[in-house]
Amino acid sequence: MMDFIGQSYGFFRSDPLSSFIGMFVVFFSVLTVIYSIGFMRGKKGLVRYYIYILLTIAASLGVVFANHLIVLMIFWGVLGLLLYLLIGFGENERVSYTAKKTFIIIGGTDAFMLLGAAFIWYLSGTFDMDKLSIALDNKIAVYAYLCLAVGAFAKAGAMPFHSWVPDTAEDAPTPVTAFLPASLDKLLGIYFLARISLDVFQMNGAMNVFLMVVGSVTIVAAVMMALIQHDFKRLLGYHAVSQVGYMVLGIGTGNPIGIAGGLFHMLNHAIYKSCLFFSGGAVEKKAGTTDLEKLGGLVKVMPVTFMTFFVASLSISGVPPFNGFASKWMVYQGVIESGKSGGHLWIVWLIAAMLGSALTLASFMKLIHAIFLGQPSRERKITDERIQETGLTMLAPSIVLAALCIAFGIFAYSGPLKAFIFPAVQGVVFSGVWQAGLATVLILIGIVLGLVIYLLGSAAKTREAEVFMGGEILKDIPDMRISGAEFYNTVQDIGVLKFMYRLAQEKAFDIYEVGTKVTFGFNKVLRSLHNGVLSTYLSWCLLGMIVLFWILLG
Amino acid sequence: MQAVNIIPMFVIVPLAGAFLNSLVEKKAKWVPDAIGNLSAFILFFFSVLAVQVVRTHGTLVYSVGAWKLPLGIAMVLDGLTAFMLVTVNFIAFMIALYSINYMERFTAKGKFYTLFLLMLTGMNGVIVTGDIFNLFVFLEIASVASYALVAFGTEKHELEAAFKYAVMSTVGSMFVLLGIVLLYGLTSTLNMADMANMLAQKGAANLVLMVSVLFIMGLGLKAALVPFHAWLPDAHPSAPAPISAMLSGILIKSLGVYAMVRIFYNVIGMTAELSSIIMFLGTLSMVVGVFLAIGQWDLKRLLAYHSISQIGYVFLGIGLGTPLGILGGIFHLFNHSVFKSLLFLNSGAIEYSAGTRDLQKMGGLMSKMPVTGSTNLIASMSIAGIPPFNGFWSKLIIIIAAVQAQRFGYAFWAVVASVLTLASFMKVMKYAYFGRLKEGLMSIKEVPFFMKLSMVVLSVVCLIGGMLLIPSLRDIFLNRASDVIALGVNYAAIVLKEVSLSW
Repeated sequence: MMDFIGQSYGFFRSDPLSSFIGMFVVFFSVLTVIYSIGFMRGKKGLVRYYIYILLTIAASLGVVFANHLIVLMIFWGVLGLLLYLLIGFGENERVSYTAKKTFIIIGGTDAFMLLGAAFIWYLSGTFDMDKLSIALDNKIAVYAYLCLAVGAFAKAGAMPFHSWVPDTAEDAPTPVTAFLPASLDKLLGIYFLARISLDVFQMNGAMNVFLMVVGSVTIVAAVMMALIQHDFKRLLGYHAVSQVGYMVLGIGTGNPIGIAGGLFHMLNHAIYKSCLFFSGGAVEKKAGTTDLEKLGGLVKVMPVTFMTFFVASLSISGVPPFNGFASKWMVYQGVIESGKSGGHLWIVWLIAAMLGSALTLASFMKLIHAIFLGQPSRERKITDERIQETGLTMLAPSIVLAALCIAFGIFAYSGPLKAFIFPAVQGVVFSGVWQAGLATVLILIGIVLGLVIYLLGSAAKTREAEVFMGGEILKDIPDMRISGAEFYNTVQDIGVLKFMYRLAQEKAFDIYEVGTKVTFGFNKVLRSLHNGVLSTYLSWCLLGMIVLFWILLG
Repeated sequence: MQAVNIIPMFVIVPLAGAFLNSLVEKKAKWVPDAIGNLSAFILFFFSVLAVQVVRTHGTLVYSVGAWKLPLGIAMVLDGLTAFMLVTVNFIAFMIALYSINYMERFTAKGKFYTLFLLMLTGMNGVIVTGDIFNLFVFLEIASVASYALVAFGTEKHELEAAFKYAVMSTVGSMFVLLGIVLLYGLTSTLNMADMANMLAQKGAANLVLMVSVLFIMGLGLKAALVPFHAWLPDAHPSAPAPISAMLSGILIKSLGVYAMVRIFYNVIGMTAELSSIIMFLGTLSMVVGVFLAIGQWDLKRLLAYHSISQIGYVFLGIGLGTPLGILGGIFHLFNHSVFKSLLFLNSGAIEYSAGTRDLQKMGGLMSKMPVTGSTNLIASMSIAGIPPFNGFWSKLIIIIAAVQAQRFGYAFWAVVASVLTLASFMKVMKYAYFGRLKEGLMSIKEVPFFMKLSMVVLSVVCLIGGMLLIPSLRDIFLNRASDVIALGVNYAAIVLKEVSLSW
């Protein structure tokens, strides 16, 4: 009965899935450490910072290679604690609130994972994941799966446990965001979701639909929130949530191509999202702000950062031939494939996924315009000379990642898919025509054509003038320009969306805020009962005793 | 020295220390510190020795004054006793160390140590005694000492809290006494083993059920089970910090949980109804306590409500009655002693340095008090059940045991309470230790050496406490205790065999 504590072997294992994830954990760790050398220079408590980073790497590898569920959960819990401590290195006022919120969500869902583990023990009597294959045919098994999935969702940032991601993205130091919420937590969360969905449990149709619902809602809702953000780190944070939707959707399809797509998307997402945060961090470091209203025109002073950011933006928007396209394409195929088993719901998922992709592109158009293109804000012009390209330690990781975005896109099939994904997911069959080479050539032709058109168009010279209205130069409005930060603010005025956005503003979708309200409601009731009067307290004791007498003797 | 002679030491040493202290406390400033700490250390040493004794000799029975048992007063040393002795005396020793510096704030250090040692006498007495009336006497010794200690600051609110505590606790004691009297009337013996035998022979009677209710109420009040808990949030915060640590950390466990478990499992015998009642009350305490705790702004009051909640886990685990559940319950009892004492000591450190226990008046203390802050973080993680700290392991076992016993609802509430516990300790960390340093706190310093020492030792135990589950250690310490509980009324046979061997 008690041997789950005492086994001295078989705690760890390595299979294609875990070694592939483990490899990329190390890869992102190395890049983050290199980037941190530049970004964290001159900050306080660096020794502690690097100790935490190293512990995070160790704990992540522990999660990936653990075979014993409790061992996995220990590393998992330690990761949550480390994230809490790492967020503490952020410098703005809100950081202690964000750290608290993050850890309550992560640690709270970890507690539910414990319950899930207890259910698994009840059902099977073992914690070794390689020995488990539980059919989801009774209530307890379903609860067990949901409890474990909740942990994976919270770690990866899928709805409804997502609300810590945007907050963390905004307040934590950028390398920490790039490291944990953007790459490692995704890798691990989706790894765990894949592990329980593929190995530990035998999925059934209903549970797959559940996953696809979570995925689709996450994709669309998070990207809608991203559209209206003003802080680019927060905006990226919402995209980090939205993209998780594709991974969950992919795994939810339940067929090899979809699952492989979900896993591939997880990898790609980690690559381009880290790249975006790294490049964004460079902007933050040099321009001293993350507010889109105050940025603009940085392409002239930070061309390399712009290029890496641009490549990663196209990747995340699913533009061919970048890697985001390759994996989204596989997810779409998986969704279509899942429709073959009957039902028409797959159309909804497909539309959600494609809509999400389009909106992502839209939101990145705004972002690139507001940060790099457009006119610089007046406020910034004063300090313009100080803004330049960052040092090599901060540039190199972005460049490497941007290069991977392109490489994994063009050579998706022969490269990462064959090397990492296919060994982990057996039996992937592409249903469509897959010729990356041809696609690339076509796209290159397109780009050349575009360039030609652009050059022809720019032959006509434009003239620059002060902004004026009705013949008068407006001195009262110093920042008369289009910052781009408000491109999509009008979506908030559309019928149903207006209502949803208002609810979102009131944090009705933030499980943390809702939970807080409920908790303090109970708290208020209970406190009003504790009035400090001795006779009340004594009468409770007597009342309790009377009830006990009644139960036992009545 | 015969091994059995170690048993009365647990009463003699603190009692002698208390009297000696009140005689010579005025001789020099360091005398009370020395006597208090030396006694506590000797007790801790003996308690570790007791574990070894149980390991080699099994259960031992000592007869006070060499009276023939079961007429005389018996003292019994078995696995559960040894486990409780280690828990109580380890925490008491740490608290004595801490008090060296902390109690400088009060004028009557000598009286403090006298009361401290008396309370320790009472607790150790409750644990080692094998006589049910003697148990009541020791219960009262510890309780009366604790009334005085709660009022130690002699401020208005402290006296008020001590008064409430004294009234409620006395009511509880009276019901316990009534229960003992009824049992005595039924069985004509006071020796617990003998009584268990008699009760088993007589079979179930309504009188026994009635006595059970009296014990649940009386001892449940000492253990702060909901709805008998209301004295605790007033009394525990009012005492000086080391005493709060002692009350929340070990007093409610030795007087409440231990006494209840010993009587219900080993004397009266556990029935399905009793076990359901205990589990239900445990879960109720768990949930009510945490919901009350999370809204508090007084740090010590928040911690006090968490004691109610955590005691709920202990009762849930032990109430399950399965070997795994009992193991989880007593392990949680040990862990809770460690981390809750530590948390109270941390709150005392803040009070010592920053002079407040209002969370809204603190902030950014991590930078000024790194040792207090880090140890508090470790203790918070422990109580919230974050791996790999000790609280995680015991909660894990309790939850697994609850699911195993098909008590899914209780397991669910245990998880919910755990989440809310985490949330409320995140609140403590945010308002007290992180965030911006408040204006008035710029010049505060970390606490003196002995306070730091005891906090660090306790936090190390939080960190490595999970190792007690390693099979070889578990066999010596935890399993021996849970085995005694799992024995149920067969305890009588073992003790009586030991009695007949020695005579």
